[in-house]
Amino acid sequence: MSNQSIDRDLKKGSAELLILSLLNGRQRHGYEIGKLIETRSKGALVFRVASLYPLLYKLEDRGWIQGRWVEKPGQRRRRYYRLTAAGRKILAERQVGWAAFVEAIRRITGAEYA
Amino acid sequence: MPDWAQAVRDRLAGLNLNGAREAEIVEELARHLDDRYRELLAAGLPEEQAHSLAVEELETRDMLAAQLRKTRLPAAREPMGFGSGGGNIMESIRHDLKVALRIIRAKPGFSLAVVFMLALGIAGNAAIFSIFNGLFLRPLPFAQPERLVDLDETAPKWNLKYVGVSNPDAYAWFKGNATFDGMAFFHGGGANLSNSSGVARRIKTATVTYRLLDVLGLKPAAGRGFLPEEDRPGGAKVAMLGYDLWQRLYYGDRRAIGQVLKLSEEAYTVVGILPREAILPPDAEVWTPLAADPNKASPFYLSGVGRLKHGVTLDQAKADLARIHREQAQAKDDTYPVMQPLRDRYLGDFRTVVNILLGAVGLVLLIACVNVAGLMLVHGESRAREISIRTAIGASRARIVRQLLTESLALAFIGGLLGVAAGKVCLHALVSLMPDDTPHWIRFDLDARFALFAIALTGAAAVLCGLLPAVQAASADTRGALQEVARSTLTRGKRGVLSVFVIGEIALAVILLISSGLLVQAFRKVLHVDPGFRPDNVITWSLRLPVAKYAKPEQQLAFFESLVDRLKSVPAVSSVSAASIVPLDGHMGYFFEAENGLPTKDQRPVVLQITALPGYLEAMGMTFLAGHDFTRHDEAADAPQVAVINEAFARFFWGSTDVAGRRIRYPGGNNKWMTVVGVIRTTMHYGLDGEIRPSVIVPFSVSTVNGMTIAMRTAIDPHSLASPAREIVRQLDPDLPMFDIRTMSERLERSLWVRRAYSWLFAAFAAVAILLAAAGIYGVISFAVSQRTREIGIRIALGARPAQVMRTVIGSGMLLVLIGLAAGLAASQLSARFLESMLFGLSTRDAVTCISVLSGVALVGLAANFIPARRAAAVDPMHALRAE
Repeated sequence: MSNQSIDRDLKKGSAELLILSLLNGRQRHGYEIGKLIETRSKGALVFRVASLYPLLYKLEDRGWIQGRWVEKPGQRRRRYYRLTAAGRKILAERQVGWAAFVEAIRRITGAEYA
Repeated sequence: MPDWAQAVRDRLAGLNLNGAREAEIVEELARHLDDRYRELLAAGLPEEQAHSLAVEELETRDMLAAQLRKTRLPAAREPMGFGSGGGNIMESIRHDLKVALRIIRAKPGFSLAVVFMLALGIAGNAAIFSIFNGLFLRPLPFAQPERLVDLDETAPKWNLKYVGVSNPDAYAWFKGNATFDGMAFFHGGGANLSNSSGVARRIKTATVTYRLLDVLGLKPAAGRGFLPEEDRPGGAKVAMLGYDLWQRLYYGDRRAIGQVLKLSEEAYTVVGILPREAILPPDAEVWTPLAADPNKASPFYLSGVGRLKHGVTLDQAKADLARIHREQAQAKDDTYPVMQPLRDRYLGDFRTVVNILLGAVGLVLLIACVNVAGLMLVHGESRAREISIRTAIGASRARIVRQLLTESLALAFIGGLLGVAAGKVCLHALVSLMPDDTPHWIRFDLDARFALFAIALTGAAAVLCGLLPAVQAASADTRGALQEVARSTLTRGKRGVLSVFVIGEIALAVILLISSGLLVQAFRKVLHVDPGFRPDNVITWSLRLPVAKYAKPEQQLAFFESLVDRLKSVPAVSSVSAASIVPLDGHMGYFFEAENGLPTKDQRPVVLQITALPGYLEAMGMTFLAGHDFTRHDEAADAPQVAVINEAFARFFWGSTDVAGRRIRYPGGNNKWMTVVGVIRTTMHYGLDGEIRPSVIVPFSVSTVNGMTIAMRTAIDPHSLASPAREIVRQLDPDLPMFDIRTMSERLERSLWVRRAYSWLFAAFAAVAILLAAAGIYGVISFAVSQRTREIGIRIALGARPAQVMRTVIGSGMLLVLIGLAAGLAASQLSARFLESMLFGLSTRDAVTCISVLSGVALVGLAANFIPARRAAAVDPMHALRAE
């Protein structure tokens, strides 16, 4: 694997994994997703509109998530996203893969100090 | 409140989204910006600042549009390339290749193994197939060769498959047939060609009927063919020069036409040049007209070739000739016309051998494929983790598949390239093994289409098995795969596939080894056949006296006798004499009857008749069972006629070898009786694995010949006798060329070349097969052990002794080996049937061969299992457990 491609895979893959993880078990709207990423990463990861929404649309295109408009009394409607069955499957796979990846990285980087 | 919608809309301009979708996006993004704005206000920021921060979320308008364009337009699916965005296809292929080569280099052992196995399989196949192709598939270089048939006569009563066609029969067929466009006959011979400076050399010639070139569908390279009036008794002495001889004698000058050639002291005018590509008989250098008298009886000696009329089948033509044969005046029930496609007649001898070799290389290719497949599978397994990780972090299945595909293809390509190169070398070696008498118009070029086929086949095996892990790992089952990886064991399915691979490889190797063992055993059996003469230290060479110069038999006898006398004076010669035909040199058939012997009404075996000078039998090292040789007194024309017979003759006619003094004669009341003065042990005249025929050796007084082969026995290197012999011949007659100079050992070698070649080729293939199979077992078992390190570690930690561990590992490996042995043994009994005709009476169940092969393979299997087993036994439990 070339460095370039790892880098690209990593960025793309991790962003997707973040979104899928946040939608696991409950539906959320775009603003909420962006907010959660920012707060849970303590500000380390920030998704702006220009990168967040294209990603959401892409995942929706792939059939991993599904968005729909929800109207609540006294509010303007919002678009909520939830995991599809396919999305749940992908998420499960990626969680294991990610764990393996992190473990691999840890072993290598950890070895430096061992 | 700011107009977020407008801000978003501005930035989507130019995307040409459909109205409804754009409205949705605008609404959603506007809502987001609004949420953000409110939040910022709530945090206490002034309106102006909150607004600008919210708008910043949209970053530059190009950025947003660009990102959205990628996701919202139909063509903007995930790009296949590595580079971002489109990227050009060549660029991405080059990138794939670069990565593939890096991975190949990173695993030199694996890559070398795959390349080596592919190359091995492809090389053998390309070489053998090229020969097969040259012999059987490439069209003969004649016009519409499929319409050409070989014409001959068969004589079952004489125990002869082909006897040749007699003049009257040839004429009757030619005149009377209704199924042929043309028919021609020819007879190969030799002549002494003298040039202007008087140096003679022996060339191969053919006498042919005038239509031969026409029937073959060829045109003279220059000049003309023969005319009907030249092909009659007393016709003009004309000749057509073979292309190569024309080049040698006249350097391809057309002025050769009209020149006079001296062939065996007779003058022939050159009227034409034969085309280069095709001559029949294959080695003839000069053609002259047959000029036979159709009305005179003749021996059976002609070869025939006919061109079937369009749409006529072989069976129709056979029926046609059978009708003519029946209608012929003289009632003949000894010979019958036979015909077959031209190619079959000339190359039929090789068909079985080449077919069997093709089968053998096919098996080797199969083993190579299986091995490569197994390697790729194991290799893929060890990469499953990497693939899973890449998938998990976002690499698409298509991309991983493409990466593995590139790797497999790169390996297949390198292996194929090496294989074709090695195949060319093998082919060259094989062709140099071919006998001189293979028709020179048969070409053995490496067949490009086949090389491609072999590469494609092995490449496909590599690619398919290389992709399997990618497809699996990249499929929805990734989680399962990863968990397995975590446990570091093979799936049951894949382990099953690998087991089948091992069993299959063992079985295939056993088939090849048993077959080759049988062939080599048969070859050794042939080598141990007593030839009936002593071939060592004898040199033989031939002379043919031109009838124009030595017309009378007495002259011929006098010449040969004085030659033999002079040769006796050459130092180190222990005995020397001459005969019309020496062992392994040909056949001259006659019929005999024996006084008070078996009547020959129903069965008239053809008897090999040899005219010999006294002392020939001794010089050739033949042994007398009874009686003695004839002497020079017996050679006088008026002396009582005598003969020496071989054991086969004596036993056939009299059922005994104690027959000295009994009499034989040519059939017919008027022929003189010859007294049998001696009986010799039967020689293997037609080859050590050839047939045995009755034979009669007669002196010159019984049958004269103008050509003889001289045999000189010595105690030193027989080759050293050639040049003093040549000097003596020159003193006697400077125009006489010596030809066919060979030691008897060389003749024996030559007669065995086909058997030797295929036996050892087969053995080579079998050796490759067992090597590949051993590598396969070793690879699979080592891999299984490496995958079970943790389990083995636990067992050892729980108190298993190393010996127990080894037993378990070896046991599971040997189980596969044993199943393979059983399967291979069973299959080899089926496949050996194809070999039966080549086994020289050896049973296909030859116990020595079967047992040694089985135990040999079992040992190899054990060795291949032993190394990984020892590694397993040496596993350090702590280390093994920590490794995970």
